[in-house]
Amino acid sequence: MRTMIVIGAGLSGLMGALALAEAGLRPLVLAKGQGATHWTAGTIDVWGADERSPREALQALGESRPRHPYALIGAHAVENAIARFRALTEVARYPYVGGLDRNVLLPTAAGALRPVALLPVTMAAGDVRLGGEVLIAGFHELRDFYPPFIAANLAAQGIAARGIYLTTPPAFRRHEYTTVTFAHMFDDPTFRSDIGRQLRAHRGDATRIGLPAILGLRDPLGAVAHLQHESGAQVFEIPTLPPSVPGIRLFALFQHAIEQHGGRLQIGSEVNHGDGQNRLLTTIWSEAAARQQEHRVERALLATGGVAGGGIRTDHTGIVRETALDLPVRAPANRADWFAPRFLDPHGHAVYTAGVATDARLRPLGADDEVVYDNVAVAGATLAGTDTVRERSRSGVSLATGWAAGRILAGLVS
Amino acid sequence: MTIIPADHIEHSLEQSLDHCIKCNICTAACPVSAVTDRFPGPKYVGPQAQRFRHERQPSPDESVDYCSGCRVCNEVCPTGVRIAELNARARARLVAERGIPLRNRLISRSGLVGRLGAGPHAPLANALLGFKPLRAVIERTLGIAREAPLPGFSRYTFRSWFGRRRAPQTSNGAPKGQVVYFHGCAANYYEPWIGRAVVAVLEHNGFEVLLPDQRCCGLPLLSNGDFAAARRAHEDNVGFLAPYALRNIPIVGASTSCTLTLKEEAPELLGMQSDAVRAVAQQTFDIFEFLRMLHERGELRTDFRSIERTLPYHAPCQLRAHRIGRPALDVLELVPGLRLVETHASCCGIAGTYGLKVEKYRISMDVGAPLFETVRRSGADMALCDSETCRWQISHGAGVIARHPIEILAEAYGVVT
Amino acid sequence: MRTFTTDVLVIGGGATGAGALRDLVLRGIRCALVEKGDLTHGTTGRYHGLLHSGGRYVVKDPQSAEECARENEVLRKIMPHCIEETGGLFVVTPADDEAYADRFVDACRRTGVWVEEIPVREALHREPLLNPRIKRAFAVRDGAADSFLATHANTDDARRYGAQVLTYHRVVGLERVGDRIIGALCEDLRSGETVRVHASFIINATGAWAGKIAAMAGLRINVVPGKGTMIAMNHRIVNTVVNRCKMPADGDIIVPIHTVAVLGTTDIPVPDPDVYDITPEEVHQILEEGECLVPGVSRMRALRAWAGVRPLYKEQDAGSDRDIPRTYKLLDHETRNGVAGMVSIVGGKWTTYRLMAEHTVDLVAQRLGVTTPCRTADLKIEPSHDGAASAPHQSARSQFAILASPFYMLGHRLAEVEADDSYGELICECELVTRAHLEAAIRSEGTANLDDLRRDTRLGMGPCQGGFCTYRAAAIWHELRNGTDRASGVPPATALLRHFLQERWKGVTPTLWGDQLRQERLDELNYLETLAVDRLPDAGHVAIEQKRDYVVEEVV
Repeated sequence: MRTMIVIGAGLSGLMGALALAEAGLRPLVLAKGQGATHWTAGTIDVWGADERSPREALQALGESRPRHPYALIGAHAVENAIARFRALTEVARYPYVGGLDRNVLLPTAAGALRPVALLPVTMAAGDVRLGGEVLIAGFHELRDFYPPFIAANLAAQGIAARGIYLTTPPAFRRHEYTTVTFAHMFDDPTFRSDIGRQLRAHRGDATRIGLPAILGLRDPLGAVAHLQHESGAQVFEIPTLPPSVPGIRLFALFQHAIEQHGGRLQIGSEVNHGDGQNRLLTTIWSEAAARQQEHRVERALLATGGVAGGGIRTDHTGIVRETALDLPVRAPANRADWFAPRFLDPHGHAVYTAGVATDARLRPLGADDEVVYDNVAVAGATLAGTDTVRERSRSGVSLATGWAAGRILAGLVS
Repeated sequence: MTIIPADHIEHSLEQSLDHCIKCNICTAACPVSAVTDRFPGPKYVGPQAQRFRHERQPSPDESVDYCSGCRVCNEVCPTGVRIAELNARARARLVAERGIPLRNRLISRSGLVGRLGAGPHAPLANALLGFKPLRAVIERTLGIAREAPLPGFSRYTFRSWFGRRRAPQTSNGAPKGQVVYFHGCAANYYEPWIGRAVVAVLEHNGFEVLLPDQRCCGLPLLSNGDFAAARRAHEDNVGFLAPYALRNIPIVGASTSCTLTLKEEAPELLGMQSDAVRAVAQQTFDIFEFLRMLHERGELRTDFRSIERTLPYHAPCQLRAHRIGRPALDVLELVPGLRLVETHASCCGIAGTYGLKVEKYRISMDVGAPLFETVRRSGADMALCDSETCRWQISHGAGVIARHPIEILAEAYGVVT
Repeated sequence: MRTFTTDVLVIGGGATGAGALRDLVLRGIRCALVEKGDLTHGTTGRYHGLLHSGGRYVVKDPQSAEECARENEVLRKIMPHCIEETGGLFVVTPADDEAYADRFVDACRRTGVWVEEIPVREALHREPLLNPRIKRAFAVRDGAADSFLATHANTDDARRYGAQVLTYHRVVGLERVGDRIIGALCEDLRSGETVRVHASFIINATGAWAGKIAAMAGLRINVVPGKGTMIAMNHRIVNTVVNRCKMPADGDIIVPIHTVAVLGTTDIPVPDPDVYDITPEEVHQILEEGECLVPGVSRMRALRAWAGVRPLYKEQDAGSDRDIPRTYKLLDHETRNGVAGMVSIVGGKWTTYRLMAEHTVDLVAQRLGVTTPCRTADLKIEPSHDGAASAPHQSARSQFAILASPFYMLGHRLAEVEADDSYGELICECELVTRAHLEAAIRSEGTANLDDLRRDTRLGMGPCQGGFCTYRAAAIWHELRNGTDRASGVPPATALLRHFLQERWKGVTPTLWGDQLRQERLDELNYLETLAVDRLPDAGHVAIEQKRDYVVEEVV
């Protein structure tokens, strides 16, 4: 019987489960479906709201925003999480580069430049500081990547860029492609050779070539190396719309590590109720065929992903709920305050700051700041107080609070 | 206790399409669309196409026929769209409009086929079905792929064995309770030893095993769109089983397909809501789900011999659709020396009767290829899997024996089957 | 400055203007049409799509009911591909007065509106989500119409016969010499050029804007813009038009149109047809009223809310705006105001557009001495096969009966994609818009931004509200239309992308909660996190027009 429960299999749940598994506690991860790993770029954005480095921002948040998730767990905890994450990716032979001292500016699939703290090495040659002419190459059949548009926007920002389309070799033609279908093709050396040759032919003066983030699921480093060799230029991936191949890679390496240490993932089981007494959560129920599955709980990590993940739900009357355990939620008082009139308002939309408030041990708090459950830790986007998408801190907060929550529940942090 | 928050109550399965946020995770996970572009993916044929379907207008569908019904889409969907059910209903609608081919009528009647083949004449039946030229003819005329893995009929049925045997082998005096065994077509007509293992394990744990009348659960009928016949099958089974369910006697099965059908597929797809149907659903358990429950209550016997083996275990799609985790792994973890390694393959490809069809056989083998590869690379001479059609497909594709995990458990208990 | 001469200038590219243009050209009259935005930019493109049986007005406004009943049949005959035969139901809910039902039936008989009482059981069988406690049910011949397709069908046909259609041409002045109007002055919003049109006659078919246009000639028309707000639900919760059987009021109808069900509507006078917003009270009211028809509707997924302004003509002092007759009014300024050369056509329903156009053109033809009779009631309008607003092609694959029907059927786009195996080509996956369809629309001259594309193809009108397709469409626009803004070097498509995101946002926020909020958050992950569109270079120079904030492409 597994009684160390992690609710949610996004980045925060996976980090938490890893911490619990490594502590020998055999966690059970219950998730309704796949998490936001499969939707998002696969980079770790620690802080991108302003021009400060992540390190500077982390130091300052402790004072200026004491209830920010980073402040609750402390800058040190964030660094620990990042160190553990980097080590994990190294072992999985999919290393991440970067750090807290300065953000790397990477081109997006729209041709904007976005700041990230950690990125897989397959994206590293996209760093705008590297200069030189960039060739952006895509496929007509991949409907979520348009090299001419990307290159035009980069050029408008003073970056020498050109966009071209490659030809899918006849043996690989089909009616429909997703990013994942392409990733499987890039796992095939024959395909890669063909593409590499095309890249060389188009390369011209370009020193770097940006492709969509589809460069293999099985061996992305090998794929990039092969393409670099064939094309004679540095090759990098540019993340695009879901399904996210880099995200799927991340999930796979987490799953492997968690299971290696005795943890178990149960995808497709939605936690929809919890019961407890005396400030202890004792039982949770997950949805199953014909009846709920009951789980006795010793400790639980709530990592349900906020509004995007389904952990926070709203309705037409303005009610905001936490969906797994029905914990108290802090949210804007009125529906009228939820949204700004401009979609791209830099302050974002207040409804997304809704979530569960916690203390420094990530224990959920009620309306008067009283602890609801001692044996529960909340992590990731279900935490109240800030809109991590606008801040460009979402994956950083998930990573750091997930790790901290797991360590706290494992009794390794006081 | 079951508390379901208000906003999870669906008006009907179709309304669940409203949860779709177009993220395409299901399409990325779909094992069929990964290998063939005749199938555009679950998002397309499920919640997306559903907005274009109209009960009183002709069906605009075609590609939904290539959905195998594996339900991986449901498993990975983060918002709870009942994609597999949407697809199943759309397929049934196509069938209602265009009719069911003879082949599909035939292969979906497992009970009938089993009755015809199993028995003393089984060796003849098996020889005929193994005769390549005859299979070639069958492929050309009926459309059943000549290489498709058809199971071998048994010389005796499980029921006949159960009926003939001497007194049950319950240990230690009075039984702890009664359990109904729903054997399904596979255990009855093809693999009676699995039924014997189930009975042995239950009796070892002090249960009296009851064997009421029962017939095919109807899943192949549901998958092939013959909803009318599936309804009749389920009504009959509920008639047989409800008297036990209403007395809180658990109904246990070792076929994850049969138990899923009783728990959910039949009631939901056919819209059957009566008290009797619900009672049967709520009292149905997968065998390892039941044994795990016993263990959680401290009632499972753990007098296992050690089995020093490392074996690949494939969790069938139909087990994952129960949403109960990996009960076989949870229970077999208790057997000293035994190490099961989950394959993490998404689907073996057979998907019930899907892989038997000539136009789908290749797709089915391509879907299963990663699984076969994993099993072969493990170097083991045996693989474990809770679903019968998957076992036959795994043997066919990976060239190893495939057993039901209950057989290993019986072995660990040292019970005679 | 550009000048051209025509016999009749139609101002207004909605249903009535387009209908009048076609009628004129079929009578051999040289004509042109100017419209300040995209076709159907005004009220025609913003209503729920109801093809009236007339049932709604039988008691309150019998003349309007009669007109609707007759024209309903005419439109089915001449443009079946724009019409879905949904049928309609009038139901007496527990909140409604049963006595009205008998008045309703009598009035139907008297006005020629076909009606048949059906057992409640049958109504519930047909529409399982209807309130199980309804007391009586009546079937009528309501239908659902694609007003965009219909308007384009009219203008495309008119162009085939030589008429000119000039969109993004805003009338800035009318040329009046003494007591005669002799032409109009327009601004070509794309090039910035002034265009002067000499015309013997002007038809003011600008609906809610009729007063503004008439004022340019010193004429006063009392048009009361009546705002009607509607909510689109994510899928067709009903497949029949469902009405409350009662005196017409707010929120008493649900119209299935294409892939959504529209809940409507309200009726609030606004002083300016270009300035209005959607209030939470309206949204609340529509959902509340909707609960009477479909219990639980307020917990279903709503996609967005929008409003159109009705061109209600107020002759004498009526009580509330609901009391203003819905029938149309042809204002002959020569006899009314002593000013020749212009007529204004106001009021009316979309269902009667053809009739309105006929009466208008009858008068104009008479003044011009043209005796050719009107043929628009008999001549079928062929579906356009070129351009973006094309009808489903008749497929030889007999298994898709949908494609063979002359009427619109919900499944037609799906059947087309299935027949062509073109699912790999889908750009807007929600609404099944293929790349070929989108490219044709982008290339079409009338398209000036992504919102025009939306009207043309239904891009962004499904559950994700542009979450995925906005990016794709902008990038494809860039490839086809090319170019960069000369001043900033930024591709116009970048500004169009941001503009469309904002346009979609404006409409979703009034009804944003539950599943749709989750969708929007995923859309934020796409646009802010993955694509970082807020960090795209600013185009700087964009043409902001009036209060609509639409972006006009720079002519190269």
